[in-house]
Amino acid sequence: MEKNIDKTSYDALVIGAGIAGGEAALNLANTGYKVLLVDKELSVGGKMIMLSKVFPTLDCSACITTPKVSEISRHSNITIFTGAQASNIRKIGEKEFTARINKQPRYVHIEDCTSCQLCEEACPVSVSDQYQYGLIGRKAAFIPFSICSPKAAAIDIENCTLCGACERACPTNCIDFTMEPEIIDIKVKTVVLATGFKLFDPLDIPRYGYGKFKNVITAMQMEREIAPTRPFNTILRPKDGKVPDKIAYVLCVGSRDASVGNPICSQICCMYSIKQAQLLMGALPMADVTIYYINIRSFGKGFEEFYQQAKGMGVNFVKGKIGRITEKENGNLILRYEDINSGKLQEEEHDMVILSTGVLPNEGISELFEGDTLGLDKFNFIGQSDALAGPSRTSIDGVFVAGTASGPMDIPDSILSAGSASSEAISYLIQHS
Amino acid sequence: MKKKKIGVYICHCGGNISDYVDVEKVRAAIADEGIVLLSKTTMFACSDSNQRDMVEDIKANDLDGVVVASCSPKLHLQTFQNVSMRADLNKYTYVHANIREQASWAHSDDKMGATEKAIHLVRAAIAKSRYAEALESTKVKAIKKVAVIGAGIAGLKAALSLSEKDCDVILIERNSVVGGHVAEFTSLSTTTETGYQIITRLYSEVLKRGNISLLTNSEVIENKGSVGNFSLKIRKITNNDNQEIIDVNVGSVLMATGFDSYTPGEGEYGYKSLENVITLVDFKKMIDSQNGKLVYNGKQIRDIVYIYCVGSRQSDGGNTYCSRNCCTSTIHASIIARHKFSDINNYHFNRGIRTYGKQEILYAESLGSGDIYLQFNEDSIPEISVNGDKAIVKINDILSANREVEVEADLVVLVGGMVPRADNSVGSLFKLPKGRDRFYNEVHMKLRPVETAIDGITIAGACQGPKNITESVNSALAAATKSYSILSKGELETSPLIAVIEEDKCSWCGACQEACPFDAIHMEEKEGRTIAQINNTVCKGCGMCAPVCKPDAINLIAYSSSEIMSMIDALA
Ligand SMILES: Cc1cc2nc3c(=O)[nH]c(=O)nc-3n(C[C@H](O)[C@H](O)[C@H](O)COP(=O)(O)OP(=O)(O)OC[C@H]3O[C@@H](n4cnc5c(N)ncnc54)[C@H](O)[C@@H]3O)c2cc1C
Ligand code: SF4
Ligand code: SF4
Repeated sequence: MEKNIDKTSYDALVIGAGIAGGEAALNLANTGYKVLLVDKELSVGGKMIMLSKVFPTLDCSACITTPKVSEISRHSNITIFTGAQASNIRKIGEKEFTARINKQPRYVHIEDCTSCQLCEEACPVSVSDQYQYGLIGRKAAFIPFSICSPKAAAIDIENCTLCGACERACPTNCIDFTMEPEIIDIKVKTVVLATGFKLFDPLDIPRYGYGKFKNVITAMQMEREIAPTRPFNTILRPKDGKVPDKIAYVLCVGSRDASVGNPICSQICCMYSIKQAQLLMGALPMADVTIYYINIRSFGKGFEEFYQQAKGMGVNFVKGKIGRITEKENGNLILRYEDINSGKLQEEEHDMVILSTGVLPNEGISELFEGDTLGLDKFNFIGQSDALAGPSRTSIDGVFVAGTASGPMDIPDSILSAGSASSEAISYLIQHS
Repeated sequence: MKKKKIGVYICHCGGNISDYVDVEKVRAAIADEGIVLLSKTTMFACSDSNQRDMVEDIKANDLDGVVVASCSPKLHLQTFQNVSMRADLNKYTYVHANIREQASWAHSDDKMGATEKAIHLVRAAIAKSRYAEALESTKVKAIKKVAVIGAGIAGLKAALSLSEKDCDVILIERNSVVGGHVAEFTSLSTTTETGYQIITRLYSEVLKRGNISLLTNSEVIENKGSVGNFSLKIRKITNNDNQEIIDVNVGSVLMATGFDSYTPGEGEYGYKSLENVITLVDFKKMIDSQNGKLVYNGKQIRDIVYIYCVGSRQSDGGNTYCSRNCCTSTIHASIIARHKFSDINNYHFNRGIRTYGKQEILYAESLGSGDIYLQFNEDSIPEISVNGDKAIVKINDILSANREVEVEADLVVLVGGMVPRADNSVGSLFKLPKGRDRFYNEVHMKLRPVETAIDGITIAGACQGPKNITESVNSALAAATKSYSILSKGELETSPLIAVIEEDKCSWCGACQEACPFDAIHMEEKEGRTIAQINNTVCKGCGMCAPVCKPDAINLIAYSSSEIMSMIDALA
């Protein structure tokens, strides 16, 4: 909830409200510090809230994220701004930072919205739904997704035609087109950067046909198809709505590939692909699932066992690099690949292909700072000034990094890194009080 | 006593519930139950708007309690307890009914049956609500001092971080020196500092801190008490092999006891039986201590074979897991060997290289500089034989259609992984649960990786599972935060939902003590009789003791026999 308290000074500014930012904010708040948590999206929860189940426990992701989210939302020491960005962060002396928060108008008074969805029904504009990764459409007046927080409608002003239909339909009169962007100048004592990651855009590898062949989708789209809050009631291939029965995963898309500028391994995609393969085998017992890989990186606690379990369930693992994907008239796809075990070029037909795209840094984070420079590493993730003995420290004393903003990691590692960043922030607050 | 008035809310959960359970019918069925003043259905009970309505309903109708029938209490029990509190009700007047997991999801093939079951579940909750009383949690003092066990990199960092939070620390190390494994490392990837330098840097910082007391040559030998106040006995071996027993009381314990390096069995890949077979740990020491030419047993080393996953990723035997860190450390060591010494050829016999994340750069560098990578499966492992002073290592390389490849090696390096400490007795003192891999187990693998099932005890570093330095330090700081936040307020709230002994019924048979998984029950002499006594801060209210008590002398608060019987009646 967006509470009405002193909006200008806090102990800590946490940027990004994914699982890392949320955890860091909670740690700080539970030790008594006042936290401002900002996220540019319309909901807190980051990527995790959109996932299906999580490896290797197969817990329902929404179900384990929402209690965290409600804890964050209701914490008396945490103020949340969604649809908001921080900028002009500047260190003043030894004890203080100033920053500017730009809060975009939602055009809906959150407190009054009952999320009845009447505005959605009334709105005549349909656009692609970014929260379902383009699998379906949504309206310009819309509730971001069913478990979003705050749970309230928003108006996508860029696509809105200002017809006023939503305003007329809203029973509580909470839609307000006169809302203006708000600029709030704040003072804080420490900053935690938890800005997360972005996914590699497979349009950058045209030979895989993403965007051209409809049955080639990304793993994030598949997460949505198998999530409990999924857009369709079953698993469909987009081209004709057919239930697929021969599914392929292409690993390392946009990772370990200097030719697309990303030489590092994304460290989560092997595991999330194995997870999805297991879930697909459960949902579509007749389907074949093949994973084309270079190396399987099942390195974490319980991961190797999870990989072996997938093999036991009948998931095919083929060590091979995919050269090119072509489409047949019926929408099926031909994968040409080098079978590493035999050294031969092979072809295989599948009726749906999932690209396991990699983890890239979010851009523009160092531009949020003025005065001191926020250092980046050579892959453009936020630089760790003492990578071994103080992994959440950055080039600016008092600014700490949490989660995937410093490099690829899974959820538990993001939680550990957030614990590390909040520990440093709490120490910093105590030492500088 | 005035008659109770409650409100009942039945949730659609989007369609999760209402697709299978006729929520309107459920509402109608319970609307006239004795104490129900108001009943409503709602799309999402947990939504902010419904929560607001609930608060208003409670206040406007002066309700004594509410029941929400929705998803699992694991998800939203607290949410609705908080709603009650916001409406000035005691949170224990709230009763939850789970009609999603237990009705709609469990019986999605039988809508009528699911609805019928939901009605019974809600009736049972209403029956419980009749008895639900306001309860107060008790507060106990929390000692603002943490015992950190193990002074490797994780323990050192955890101690420093707690000390910076003005929290007293007692840092307990079994060895005579601090630093654990890292202190033995000379070169490290990602930094120019050596392991020894990093440890020295942290150690000299520890010495400067007035609020850290470091005990080396010391071990915890006894633990009593619980979160907020653990009483520990520590045995310290002093200079002339005398021992001293130190008693300390701490509010929380942070375990950072680390790992053992896997030692190959005798004869495993020729270990101990063949001269030129050594472990990665020994190899690292060797390359760190030599210069110019790499020499082993008086002979110059040129061709080195590394055999990966020794003691890891085994389908038989204990270690099914991947040790996470050994691929990277091996490649790093092999790169150093190539740079530092002349004429080195590296052959990596691996099972798929796992240089995850940014560590991939090392692998790419190694490939680029001409190192040879050959791969095997678990069912056809490399064979080693001797030929003069060379070791012949044979592999069926799966990267080239199982072609048989032989390498004549001067040295074979066995890449062993991380295993749990052979002596983990300190964990047993605290009843810390272990996983299948025998490392200590966290309470929730995804979201609570440093907390354990034992309140007040956190785990950090490789005692929880294989980790590299960065990961160990992150977990150490995360554990320090959790230990600190338990103690920072100086007092703890304990749940009132615990077991109580009816003293006159008890004649001490000890059955409850044995049943209790948390060690909360002890024998006590009272007014000439021997009876069971429950430690309120340790008891979790799990109820294991109640059914084993023959004279029925144990009751669980809020789950008394009369409450449970009335619920069962409503379910029948
Ligand atoms: C397909 C897929 C499946 C996965 N499956 C699993 C799994 O099963 N198990 C597992 O452990 N992990 C899984 N992961 C990984 C998991 O998603 C990440 O580890 C985790 O989400 C990282 O959390 P984060 O908070 O660091 O980043 P994010 O979730 O990216 O959160 C960052 C937040 O910061 C906000 N933000 C960014 N920049 C700004 C700014 N300038 N101002 C304000 N806000 C900003 C973003 O809007 C976002 O909300 C999966 C990932 C993918 C892609
Ligand atoms: S985690 Fe697996 S799929 Fe992802 S980049 Fe690394 S090796 Fe490739
Ligand atoms: S990290 Fe590499 S060597 Fe170590 S167990 Fe895993 S795969 Fe084997």
